[in-house]
Amino acid sequence: MRICGIETEYGCLIESERVAREFSPDTLSILVKDHLFYANDVGLLDVQYRDRGEPPRNGGFLYNGGRLYIDMGHLEYASPECLSLRDLIAYERAADFLLLQALEDLGIRDDVTFVRNNIDHVTGATFGYHENYLVSRDVPFEYYMVPALMPFLVTRQIYAGAGRVGFHEEDEYDEDYRRRRRVATRVTDEVPYQISQRSDHIVADQYEWVQFTRAIINTRDEPLADVSRFRRIHLLLGDTNMSEYATMLKLGTTMVVLQLLEEGCPMPPISLVDPVMTLRDISRDNTCAWPVDLDTGRTTSAIEVQGAYLAVAERYLEGSSQEVDWVLTEWRATLEALAGDPMELKDRLDWVAKKWLLETFMEEEDLTWHDPWLQSLDLDYHKIDPERSLYSDLVEENMMQRVVRNAAISEAMFAPPPDTRALGRSLIMQRLAQANLVRQVDWDTVHLETGVAVSMTDPHRTYENVAARIDEVLRREPTQAVEQRDDR
Amino acid sequence: MPRLGYRQERKQRPEDPLRREGDETDEGGPKRPDVEQPNRQRLLKRMRQVDKDQAKRYRQRTGQ
Repeated sequence: MRICGIETEYGCLIESERVAREFSPDTLSILVKDHLFYANDVGLLDVQYRDRGEPPRNGGFLYNGGRLYIDMGHLEYASPECLSLRDLIAYERAADFLLLQALEDLGIRDDVTFVRNNIDHVTGATFGYHENYLVSRDVPFEYYMVPALMPFLVTRQIYAGAGRVGFHEEDEYDEDYRRRRRVATRVTDEVPYQISQRSDHIVADQYEWVQFTRAIINTRDEPLADVSRFRRIHLLLGDTNMSEYATMLKLGTTMVVLQLLEEGCPMPPISLVDPVMTLRDISRDNTCAWPVDLDTGRTTSAIEVQGAYLAVAERYLEGSSQEVDWVLTEWRATLEALAGDPMELKDRLDWVAKKWLLETFMEEEDLTWHDPWLQSLDLDYHKIDPERSLYSDLVEENMMQRVVRNAAISEAMFAPPPDTRALGRSLIMQRLAQANLVRQVDWDTVHLETGVAVSMTDPHRTYENVAARIDEVLRREPTQAVEQRDDR
Repeated sequence: MPRLGYRQERKQRPEDPLRREGDETDEGGPKRPDVEQPNRQRLLKRMRQVDKDQAKRYRQRTGQ
């Protein structure tokens, strides 16, 4: 449907005293990353600095076309460029398989768990899940795309939220140390639970950078492709979903709205009074009324805002592809269920499934939302190891829908998508590894030690012919850029 | 279009590490869960086994 890639920052929980005495989460992340590259041969480590914070061997590209690296202490995985939603889900989850395999190999699977969530409940830390969508450079960004996307993104959490116990408050200013100090999760009777993990941490509607002033729409212009033709929409407001269905709906609806924008369809005339506060308020509204104040002075609801985008999509895009039709059908069914009884969606949406689990447990054990056990159960839902994950228990009990098979995820650990630039990158990497040649790989370029640069500026192309001719390319004179136009 | 590009000589080819006994998700496509008959007691038992204090030990660095 559209070129898209996902970045996931993993949390790391040390579960045993034995390992906790020897390692920190930071060092364990490095250990696992090094094991995957050095022992499991999953890809090629960087041989040069990519950035000030990315020294050689901090990470590298994988033979599946993605990338694995350490970022601010977190093990982070960037999926390869994918064209289909099911590929995206398979490649996103492929990293879970890789990390589990490394823990198994290292003999510490019972001692350490990686976690697919976005917060801890103690320090107020947050870490991300980033969506990257390739769009045409022809679509005006700041005065057309940003305002048209904003109401959709603010309200998307009603089906895309991963759910969390409590809420995060503004950092406190510590007079003694003259700096801001992050504070732990709070649980009150007004906000015992909320639908999104990230909403409390988004403090701007649009901004260029990705830390401290996280925005609903990131405006950094770094396409990692031909800058004259493409723009990369980089979103960091979303939660890391465990539910494959919720992930697919979140990504699919966003792609549909981007397609409407690219095709110049008339967008819903909706403008929010305060997108950032609306994002937070929707997330915290346990009544599921989700009121939204509009610039016109009228108040509507998040469901109605989503319904307005859906109506335009149904009018202009229905029947355009099987994938679009899946998105439109499920989008409508989800909104209808949310308007009726949201708990009907506990087999599809994370925030609903988690809330149902926690409320069932509270009733059985006579607990309140204030009990810290609830925060531990919240965390447990997000572990990637099926032997100790509440989400996986729901799957095991056949109470959660899946959209990809484990076989597809296993294949995505090593094989690149067949229909994007990732294929060419992977093939070139394999040839260079066999020839034992020093190289620097990037998303849109491979620099060879001869000085030749293989340029891959169109993510839609597979560059198979360039890969097939790599021996010839290696013999060329230095500093000669190579790109082939007829290789699709 | 066939998928290309496996490294044939990979040193270790992990099996599906998520596979558990009785996992049949490879045998069919997406399935509607049987939400009418949830094994509620089994889930409750599993939740009781969760370490009450693990969230206190989960201290992460802020990322992006």
